[in-house]
Amino acid sequence: MINAGITIFGIICLNYLLIRLMPGDPSLSIIPRDPKFRGLRDYMISFFGLDRPQWEQFVIYLQRLFTLDWGVSYQDHRPVADILFHDLGWTLLLVGTSTIITILIGIAVGAYSAVRRGKAFDFVSTGIGIFLYGMPIFWLGLVLQSAFRKNSVFQTWIPGWPALPTSGYYDDRLIPWNWDIVHLADAGLHLLLPALTLSLGTLAGISLVMRNSLIDVMTEDFVTTARAKGLSPRQVLRRHILPNGLPPMVSLIALDIAFILGGAYQVEVIFRYQGIGFRTIEAIGSLDYPLLQFIIVIGGVAVVLANLLSDFLLLWLDPRIKIS
Amino acid sequence: MPALLEVRDLTIEFRTKAGIVHAVEGASFSVERGEAMGLAGESGCGKTTTALALMRLLPYNGRIVRGSISFEGRDLVPVPEDSMRAIRWKEMSIVFQGAMNSLNPVQRVGRQIAEPIMLHEEAEPEASFKRAGDLLELVGISRNRLNDYPHEFSGGMRQRVMIAMALACNPKLVIADEPVTALDVMIQAQILDLLERLRRELHLAMILISHDLSVLADTCEQVTIMYAGKTMESGKTMDLFTDPKHPYTQGLVGAFPDIRGPRNMPEAIPGDVPSLISPPSGCVFHPRCKFAFDRCTKAEPALTELSVGRRAACFLYPQVTEVPPRPIAITEV
Amino acid sequence: MGTVDVVKVPGAISPFRARATVVSRRMQDIGLQVFHNKTAMAGLIILLFFTFLAVAAPLIAPYSPLTAVPDVGPLTLPGGVHPFGTNQFGYDIYSQVIWGTQISLLVGVLAAGVASVIGTAVGLISGFVGGWIDEVIMRFNDVVLSIPWLVLMIVVAARLNYLDLAGIILVIGLTGWSVTARVVRSQVLSLKERMFVERGRMIGSSNAHILLRHIFPNAFPLIFANTILTVAISILSESVLAFLNLSVKSNVSWGRIIAEAYQHDALTIGMAAWIIVPGLCIVFLVFGFYLFGYALDEILNPRLRRR
Repeated sequence: MINAGITIFGIICLNYLLIRLMPGDPSLSIIPRDPKFRGLRDYMISFFGLDRPQWEQFVIYLQRLFTLDWGVSYQDHRPVADILFHDLGWTLLLVGTSTIITILIGIAVGAYSAVRRGKAFDFVSTGIGIFLYGMPIFWLGLVLQSAFRKNSVFQTWIPGWPALPTSGYYDDRLIPWNWDIVHLADAGLHLLLPALTLSLGTLAGISLVMRNSLIDVMTEDFVTTARAKGLSPRQVLRRHILPNGLPPMVSLIALDIAFILGGAYQVEVIFRYQGIGFRTIEAIGSLDYPLLQFIIVIGGVAVVLANLLSDFLLLWLDPRIKIS
Repeated sequence: MPALLEVRDLTIEFRTKAGIVHAVEGASFSVERGEAMGLAGESGCGKTTTALALMRLLPYNGRIVRGSISFEGRDLVPVPEDSMRAIRWKEMSIVFQGAMNSLNPVQRVGRQIAEPIMLHEEAEPEASFKRAGDLLELVGISRNRLNDYPHEFSGGMRQRVMIAMALACNPKLVIADEPVTALDVMIQAQILDLLERLRRELHLAMILISHDLSVLADTCEQVTIMYAGKTMESGKTMDLFTDPKHPYTQGLVGAFPDIRGPRNMPEAIPGDVPSLISPPSGCVFHPRCKFAFDRCTKAEPALTELSVGRRAACFLYPQVTEVPPRPIAITEV
Repeated sequence: MGTVDVVKVPGAISPFRARATVVSRRMQDIGLQVFHNKTAMAGLIILLFFTFLAVAAPLIAPYSPLTAVPDVGPLTLPGGVHPFGTNQFGYDIYSQVIWGTQISLLVGVLAAGVASVIGTAVGLISGFVGGWIDEVIMRFNDVVLSIPWLVLMIVVAARLNYLDLAGIILVIGLTGWSVTARVVRSQVLSLKERMFVERGRMIGSSNAHILLRHIFPNAFPLIFANTILTVAISILSESVLAFLNLSVKSNVSWGRIIAEAYQHDALTIGMAAWIIVPGLCIVFLVFGFYLFGYALDEILNPRLRRR
């Protein structure tokens, strides 16, 4: 836990350094001296105290960070904190949904491959897995998007090919959020393609890891003991193999979370899904510096929290690990 | 009365990338009710494979190619898998070596002991756990430890847990594969005493597997010596030790330093264990045997009865016949 | 340690030559194993194919990738001389794809090299020295790992407005060293416990000596296999950056082609190849590296998986 705290602090500092200490760049020059940016410059100077000595700037930065007073977005003049937390929610929804799908399918495929090791299914699924593992997620998204849009090629080839919404749920800035079924269903439908894309992208890695982890477990003595007791193969799998195969997988997924998040960002951009990733690209495109300042922090904190979560999960799953 | 277990001409092969491994060939022995038989030999000679085969627990690339395993008069080799599952643990159970990994690390010990009870006797969890507690006490562990995890026990205690677990369904035969190898000498003695006591009290038949003859010397009435998958000699423990017939057995027994008597260097058997994929021709031991002569390189000696209850496979003894060349036919199991 | 007089024994070879012979023999041995390994060969073939494309691009590409072709206009459908059609500026897409191989391979390999060197150095030092230096480095590593690499790269890339080849390589390399460092460090930690380190210390070898002569050679197989996988990731990273228009502007990159195809609705207007082919190229190139790296890992690290 302390580690997490230190890490977060590290992220905060690094973020600060990144923005400030770019090779040879004093902060003021990150904003072009174009007259149309005058307003932004003045704002940045006043908000971040850019005309004060460096150490003072850092203190102001920290202050602002912790009081969640993150300034106002240059683009649409809403508080940065509001925007970011709102988007974070959507991103978490996307990542959460796709991770659940991925884990379910990944465990199933991995387990099936491990049990049928060496046979056709294993060979094929492992091959597909390695193949998918290297697929750029944005490309996958593009292909899926093109496949499922209203007038896609597939529709002409295959009758009854569904047309799924190809963009993320429309932001509710303009439409107040209702928890009724219609809204939820619509949101779900819009979530389908992005989540599917992200799932497929991360599925390969997880099922491969699961397979290897399970194979390692299957060669352990206690599995033979379980078989010796007269348990059926399915019982052995469910009661003995899987519970031992999961912990290593959880650790590996935890390590990959940053990578998964990267994939999520790509998906958001392709599908115009209003999450952190999409916001980041927009911010870069429109040079919305106040926003950029804190996006890294948000992303980093999310990862650290996810890691912490997985640590707790591990603690629960594997009784051998003790809190030292 | 027929023996509890009678193994005849058991032959086991493994299919590997490097070729077919002849792990066990023509193994034959028998175990009576309540009797302890020792299975001895160097690492890799096929002892564990034989044990696993008895319970039909060979890994996916192993198969019983020939032979019969008669348990209470019924041949287990052709028995279908689901019937086999009913037999496992109920009629015979097994205790593995290095109980470090023989117990599921993420499951509580009580649950693991109770599992076969609930499975085979369809007992209620409460009754099963009570029985598990009884079993723990039988092996000298407090029943308070039912809810502990395997890693919370020491090596010796884990072995006791495994023994308790093996007795869960009152089997008739317990196979102990290197039960004391990973333990220090003091604990070794305790575990062996425990096994001996349990055997007498519960009238268990036991097969004790070890590469350490001293372990078998005390506990077993019968001993079978294996080498490179083949059976070299078998007979009463006392006889084998005092008057070993087969050169390999002589080597093993001679390798013992004797506390009494003059200080002699123990004799080692020169050479290495042969490859099981391409074993030597004729008698499999001849490359390392100091008595080897011409016939040993050409023909394989069969395990022949030299006197009552004593068998050996060595051409030094004129009664020993040759193993006829085998047909290549393989029976699917 | 005092100096040792090297006595010239007739017929003996110098220690340098002896070591070189051992190394080259080992390499031959590994080479043979690779040759017999189907996975490795499959990966190698794919890699060789792409390398050929990259190297021979000036010769085999029919047109220059960044010049409008003289015979047809922009956005021509695939056919005839232009198997993939032309893009919005009238550039031949087929040539673009061929030339794109250069960037992907170049950036991928070099960036992975940078990441690997940094990561290995950090991992070696961190694992070997231990103590608070290790702690500090690991925390820093955590921080770098925690920030989604994409964000980091985008922000860094956006800050460096003028991006040349070196820039991109540095950006990807500087964000990719963390995993290698972790892996190397854990390997070093386990190697440290081994006996030969104890013995080395006992005969008075300096730490640097142990590190270089003992630990590094033992960790090298792992580092090498890991580097190959890092190349695969670097290629993917480059393609994402290219897609977002943050890669090298002067050359053509597959990611960029995909982006342009996307902007012009390639699939609807019947230019499926425009979007599909570059993507497939990325997939196959990465696939090749994965196959080779995976097989190499198996060869260099004999594991007990074959049970």
